[in-house]
Amino acid sequence: MTLFSAPDEPTHATLANPANASLVDLLDRLLGAGVVLAGDIVISLAGVDLVQIRLHALITSIRADVARYAPPTSPGRP
Amino acid sequence: MSAEHSHRAGHGRYLFGFARNLDAASVRDAPSLGETALEVVTSGDLQAVVCDVDLAEFGEDALTENLENLEWLEHVARTHNEVVLRVGAAATVAPARLVTICANDASVRTRIDEQRLPLTEALDRVQGRSELSVKIYLRQQPGVASSGQDSDVTSAQATPAGSGAAYLRRKQEQARLRRDAGNRGTQVADTIDRALASRAVASRRLTPQDPQLTGRSEPMIANLAYLVPTEVLDGFSSLVEQLQVEHSPVVLLEAAGPWPPYSFATLD
Repeated sequence: MTLFSAPDEPTHATLANPANASLVDLLDRLLGAGVVLAGDIVISLAGVDLVQIRLHALITSIRADVARYAPPTSPGRP
Repeated sequence: MSAEHSHRAGHGRYLFGFARNLDAASVRDAPSLGETALEVVTSGDLQAVVCDVDLAEFGEDALTENLENLEWLEHVARTHNEVVLRVGAAATVAPARLVTICANDASVRTRIDEQRLPLTEALDRVQGRSELSVKIYLRQQPGVASSGQDSDVTSAQATPAGSGAAYLRRKQEQARLRRDAGNRGTQVADTIDRALASRAVASRRLTPQDPQLTGRSEPMIANLAYLVPTEVLDGFSSLVEQLQVEHSPVVLLEAAGPWPPYSFATLD
């Protein structure tokens, strides 16, 4: 089994391709895991701040998507 | 392999991750951030995969602002993930956290040297293995109203004497059914986790995601990651299918992978 496949191709019938992962799944891994080393560019982000940035950015996008895709004839929908 | 990269004013090195026995030619056509291609910095038997970035975009002040910009964040995260997937296809990879930026290649090399032992251990831990994610959602049970639905049960009804007690009994019964459904869901999730963990060399529980983020109405009750040897990926995947069939009335499963080993190639 190869570890790399074209973005739309599943690697197995049951397993979704991580190249198509949601942003929240990517950020769980890229901000919440991985090798954590101090770089030379010091940014005042750590732990809780990273989580806040992540959630703020994602909830903003969820709201934007809801506004974009809500059908125009359903006035009761959020 | 790049020649010694001296510090260019206003530029830094974005660090994607570390590898062992990586042939630089294998990542030549991979995506990159900024204007230039990926490069490989070597120290001993370990490599760091980097690219040149402009500090006007990746410096301290710029990052603080850009990390709040969803489109920018998504572009960087997806590119970082694609690079790590590509490196992982060619060698054992330990992904770095997002936006780790060093001044120059000498600094990158120093990081490798300072962390050589924990990096080696992390790479040993994940060599020949991939991460698989399994999310477990609790299905809506028939006859069990979600907690938001109780409140409209009686607002339209008249309230003759005695119906107040009946209303309270109905509410308590609904709360009990929800608790039982939740407990059953937890038991099923634990059963599934035990079965999958028996096929993996390690597992982690990540934070379950809020319905606002998942796009599903069913609540996520477990967000799991497993470190699985490559040769048993097919068997693991079949087991996920089997567990879905077996527990279908109670839970919905979503599996993805193989991922680079983000949750397991950590420095302890």
